[in-house]
Amino acid sequence: MTSPIHTHELTRRYRHQMALDGLNLQVPEGSIFGLVGPNGAGKTTVIKMLMKLLRPSSGNAEVLGCNIGKLGPAQFARIGYVSENQKLPDWMTVGYFMNYLRPFYPTWDDALAAELIQQFELPHDRKLRHLSHGMQMKAAMAAALAYRPKLIVLDEPFTGLDPLVRDELIEGLLPRTENTTVFISSHDLAEIESFASHIGFLDHGRLQFCEEMSSLAERFREVEVTVGGADRKRAAEWPPTWLNAQQSASVCRFVESRFEEERTMAEVRRVFGDPMQVAVNPMPLRAIFVALAKASRKAAA
Amino acid sequence: MRQAIHILEKDIRHLWIEIAVVLAATGLFSLIYTHPDFWLSKAQLPQTVAAFFVSFLLPVSWWVLIVRAVHGESLVGDREFWPTRPYSWKSLLGAKLLFILLFVNLPILAAQAAILQAHGFQPGAEWGSLLWNQVLLTLALFLPVAAIGALTTGIVQFLLIGLVAWAALLLLSLRFSLVASTMAGGTWGPLEWVRWSYTLMLAALAAPAILIWQYAKRRTIAARVIAIAIVIVMGLGAPFSYTQAFAIQQRFSRQPAAGATIRTGWNNGFQWMTRALIRPGRGVDLNVPLQLTGLPDQLDAKPEGLTFSIEAPGGAVLRPASQPSRNVTSTGQLIALRATLPESFYRAVKEQPITIRGEIDLTLYGNRRETKVPIRGGLRAVPGMGLCTATGGPPATYFLSCNAALRPRADKVAIAFEPHPRVIADYATRFPPSYSPFPAELSINPLSSSDAYSTYQGPLDAVTVSSEEPVAFVRAPLLIEGLRLGAYEAVMK
Repeated sequence: MTSPIHTHELTRRYRHQMALDGLNLQVPEGSIFGLVGPNGAGKTTVIKMLMKLLRPSSGNAEVLGCNIGKLGPAQFARIGYVSENQKLPDWMTVGYFMNYLRPFYPTWDDALAAELIQQFELPHDRKLRHLSHGMQMKAAMAAALAYRPKLIVLDEPFTGLDPLVRDELIEGLLPRTENTTVFISSHDLAEIESFASHIGFLDHGRLQFCEEMSSLAERFREVEVTVGGADRKRAAEWPPTWLNAQQSASVCRFVESRFEEERTMAEVRRVFGDPMQVAVNPMPLRAIFVALAKASRKAAA
Repeated sequence: MRQAIHILEKDIRHLWIEIAVVLAATGLFSLIYTHPDFWLSKAQLPQTVAAFFVSFLLPVSWWVLIVRAVHGESLVGDREFWPTRPYSWKSLLGAKLLFILLFVNLPILAAQAAILQAHGFQPGAEWGSLLWNQVLLTLALFLPVAAIGALTTGIVQFLLIGLVAWAALLLLSLRFSLVASTMAGGTWGPLEWVRWSYTLMLAALAAPAILIWQYAKRRTIAARVIAIAIVIVMGLGAPFSYTQAFAIQQRFSRQPAAGATIRTGWNNGFQWMTRALIRPGRGVDLNVPLQLTGLPDQLDAKPEGLTFSIEAPGGAVLRPASQPSRNVTSTGQLIALRATLPESFYRAVKEQPITIRGEIDLTLYGNRRETKVPIRGGLRAVPGMGLCTATGGPPATYFLSCNAALRPRADKVAIAFEPHPRVIADYATRFPPSYSPFPAELSINPLSSSDAYSTYQGPLDAVTVSSEEPVAFVRAPLLIEGLRLGAYEAVMK
């Protein structure tokens, strides 16, 4: 399977600040890849470099098999890019915007364009500048889907949108991702979790992990261990895969970042002896993200 | 090309108001200058409005239109929508250039042709000049503005950077070049075109280079650095002297051998005009009448500049540093060397037989033609002046009004109001002559006007214009030996 997006040691510095530090990433074809991370993690920087809007300080990347420095009309005709902070030609009406873009794309589908405008309830004759932010994002999305791109790149598309508009955008996007790879950055984890097939977690410009959603959900567990007071242990003795461990008089809670039932239970017994009770709970992506972010900040401190 | 046309159509739709403003301004400009009566009306307001349009509004409307078109797909920043769309940079640049051609070049070209036609010219015969003028306008006024537009994000930033660039140019030129040389010794007169050609050449190289670089690479910081460097180089002025400019001018002599026999020496007949005027504390003003020998028959000489040194027997040498054009004057047929010497040098050499050695730059005029322009007799083609009309008569002033197409005259002209004992006109010209070999000079107005008048109150039949064209630019040796300045000393009281 080829990779529509492939980066090798991709790095970007802003003067003395490292925005992205040696990113190595392979986005599987046909996947919906969510690049998540806190604000300032470097997500937008990655996407802007992939879209040739920023030049890397070092390293390289390929998008649809083309080095990002050489991306041109042939590649962009197969890429749909939507960003929450993109400046649209706001003097255009929605209809003219779509008509204007049509000749640029050999694969433009008029019927699909009309369907998208209808689905997103976009007012054909209204200027983009007179649309709300949500409607502008819908217009941008419609204009990025109407030519059936091979790669859809979305940079924080849900930021600032109300839940209804988010759902509408997702509902417009998902049915049209067949034979398409979606690369989406967001810190809105709830939405990502609902449809992403792969997740990359970026923090402080470094990729902390990158894997399939299913294995991520399998790997992280919230563990609560009830012990007797005499069995209290110092943090230094805890395995490094236990994140954000907190211990009160009789209860210890932590996030196991490499959960395998037998191995984890063995570690619990090694640390706590014979605990009174061990509760293991699956975690939503949001909880995993928060746990990772906290652990990362603690480590940085 | 299809994509370029598509983008062009979008720009036309987007910028129709700005286009309408440019077309209206161009139309009004054309209207004003195609109706000389309007221009010469007694009411001052239309003239003021016309001047305002020509000098300010028309170029500003062009610049706003050009910059708005470029900013339609801003090349600066990472938030624009178009870089991630399948735009070809060549099509995009082509669309913008086509836009400038259609809505800036063509309207002003049409207006210029209409103005020329209204003033009696055949635009068909002036196409070379008209097109050359468009090249100059494009290189000097349109492409540099497009290049600045390509380095800025909006009209406000454009105005700020434009202002800074203009101020930098002005400050640098104050320090180094144009104004400094003006203050030191005047402009280069008819040779000024050499200096402007250099500046235009820089613009011609820099603006397209920046545009192509930005559209192809969108490397704004590097492009801005190049632009700043170019502004600095322009501000430093032409890297050649007047003497070198005259050497360039010599290449355009039609009869290069014409002046080979010319020599310059002390004018024996007018030795009495030699003066060494001591101005205590301010140097010694030297005036030495010169005589040209070996000048071919049928040719007149006009001095353009003089470089010289003064050598004394004791070995003292002085090379005055002032502008060559300031070192020589001509009054009628009389040519004189003029310079200000340091008083100490003068006192050291004044009783010694000095030698003045140097070179004089001369324009040789020939091919004399005489044209009569009847009073109230309509348009007449006058060599070197363009199309002329003679008007007036008692009690009104007699006027000779001439228009040349797209460039100032190069010919030497003498005007006489006939038949009364040759009333030589109080000659006035709006544009100084230029020896440029090009068919047009940078100008929005295609008319280069000159006027002459006479207040004679008697009846006149015609105005006679004698014109001679420059046939050669020569550098002739100057040698004066045995001059004792002390003999011609005077002291300013």
